[in-house]
Amino acid sequence: MKKIISLAAAGALVLGVSVSVAPAANAACSGKLKIAYQGPLTGPEAALGINELNGVKFALKKFLAANKGANVDPVVYEVDDQGDPAVAGPIAPKVAAEECVVALVGPAYSGASKVSLPVYLSAGLPIITPSATNPTLGEFGKSIFHRAVLTDDYQGPAAARLIVSKNKKATVFLVNDASDYAVGLQKTVDISLGSRVVGKDVTPNGTTDFSATIAKIKKSKATAVFYSGYFSQAAVFVKQLRDSGSKITFVSGDGTLDNQFVKLARKAAEGVLLTAPAIPFEAASPKLAAEMVKAGWTPGVYTTESYDAANFFFDAIKAGNTDRASINKYVSTKSHKGLSKTLKFDKDGEVAGADVNGFIVKNGKLVLLGAIK
Amino acid sequence: MDFALLRDAFWMLTFDGLALGAIYALISLGYTLVYGVLRLINFAHSEVFMIGTFGSLFATGLIGVKIEDEPLTDGKMVFTLLFALVIAMLSSAIAAVLVEFVAYRRLRKRGATKLATLISAIGVSISLVELFRIMTDSLPREFPRIMDKTFLVSYAGADIRNDKVIVIVAAGLMMVALDQFISKTRLGKGIRAVSQDENTATLMGVNINRVITVTFFAGGLMAGAAAFFYILVYENTSFKVGFFLGISAFTAAVLGGIGNLRGALFGGFVLGLMETYTSAVFGTAWKAVISFIILVLVLLIKPTGLFGESITQARV
Repeated sequence: MKKIISLAAAGALVLGVSVSVAPAANAACSGKLKIAYQGPLTGPEAALGINELNGVKFALKKFLAANKGANVDPVVYEVDDQGDPAVAGPIAPKVAAEECVVALVGPAYSGASKVSLPVYLSAGLPIITPSATNPTLGEFGKSIFHRAVLTDDYQGPAAARLIVSKNKKATVFLVNDASDYAVGLQKTVDISLGSRVVGKDVTPNGTTDFSATIAKIKKSKATAVFYSGYFSQAAVFVKQLRDSGSKITFVSGDGTLDNQFVKLARKAAEGVLLTAPAIPFEAASPKLAAEMVKAGWTPGVYTTESYDAANFFFDAIKAGNTDRASINKYVSTKSHKGLSKTLKFDKDGEVAGADVNGFIVKNGKLVLLGAIK
Repeated sequence: MDFALLRDAFWMLTFDGLALGAIYALISLGYTLVYGVLRLINFAHSEVFMIGTFGSLFATGLIGVKIEDEPLTDGKMVFTLLFALVIAMLSSAIAAVLVEFVAYRRLRKRGATKLATLISAIGVSISLVELFRIMTDSLPREFPRIMDKTFLVSYAGADIRNDKVIVIVAAGLMMVALDQFISKTRLGKGIRAVSQDENTATLMGVNINRVITVTFFAGGLMAGAAAFFYILVYENTSFKVGFFLGISAFTAAVLGGIGNLRGALFGGFVLGLMETYTSAVFGTAWKAVISFIILVLVLLIKPTGLFGESITQARV
């Protein structure tokens, strides 16, 4: 027993030391370079993380196939933070201490980003997040922070414009699932819609029965309902809404933009309007999407953005950058023509010239309506 | 607060609340049965329910009903409904028995503490959730529409929908059947005897292992039925479906008096109605808060729950 304890203590010591002496640039990597992906890979939020990880893996596969002769051979290093800041906290120093990890796609979630980014900043590890949309993240990551999507500040107003463009006299009922993301997004929609908002309800994630909410919506006489939350709940909700006989316009944000939503809600999904700073892989490139499915990975929401982020890093590696500092410099100054948009980061690491897209569900497919003006 | 909504839509909310309550009641029977016999909260019961939802999905796949199919009609519909119900019940029941066999039996034989068994229960629950998460790629699963959902009648603003009527009626019948089984049959008497006094029951020649297996099996059957009805109304499932319904059903069991069958029944319906009413008046986010406040108040006044604690009282 004593032996086990002393072993554990020695292990902790080694770990502690390696954390404290983690070099700013990874001069000591012997072996393959690693591109890390950080996001929820297990637990209830895992679907989104797996979408993104698939994008990174597929990007790697394409990169390796196209660069057989090149003297680079990166691998994907998976970091599972379960989308939870409490899990991400202890993991981030380990990732930073991994000498061969030269770049990181993620973290997927804003909460987990807030605790991870300061650690990566001190280790000089460059990151591109494909999906964390909280506007304040730049303050946590500073020079190593890059974001491949627009923040929530853009999506809410765009959703409001989309609703009004479809019906000049629209009145709206707002529902959110009580998550950080949903509450933040709903707030910006609420402000943009102003007096058009005729009612609100909060249905925490995990709600199975929406009867009371539906009764409220019917009584409010709203012409549209905006649901702020994720696809699995949105599908349950819209289905119950339609089964109750309601024909109200259903609008939702990027959390719902997923083929799974259409698959789950089926007929009830017809005519649903969606907004997202993201673009589905199938819409961005049907050809690559088919190739990806054939390779065994299903694309989902934010697969495109994480595919782009990974490719930007591969560009950097291909250009001969093999340590954190030079890769960070490359992605901070150069640009990458991705599937979703051209990635060109400003001094705060935010992507410029991107749009919020509108989508409609038609005949069981997510159809891109184009940028919401 | 929106009391006007409660007034205007009272009958609609009541009907919806009863359908939800019927599902809670069926699940809560499993908690209460096992508690009655083993004095153990079977935390894996929510996963027994979850397995039932996947069982119904499997059953429709077996018949060849596809997701994109139009709703079935006539004989084929009735057959599919019954077949999915039976398969769901059996898969849950078998799962429940296996859980007992794997996670509890050995501990019980070795005289482990209740706490060890409780941890084992939580462990099984987490393992099953993760197993199904991995098997389903963390994605929810949709369910084909077996039966067209139509409004039968409209009474005082309440649209009475066929699937929910089926759920309420069928759940009622199942509970009557279980009640009769516990109070009338030989095995049911065995369950009651063990619940009263395990040692004496053993001395009287009751095979305790068999009684426990039957208890888990019966609880599983009810959870499986609940799973099928859930699928019929909500038409979707996922690896995490058990958690929220499990918590509600457990609450229902405690509210009615854990260990008491009729208490669980009553608790289920009361909780379903309470959740729906409070969602309407205070907002859906408040339903759990209000429900638990009511639970605490009930337990303050009557610590054993509305109907008292013992399974033996189920005869009353």
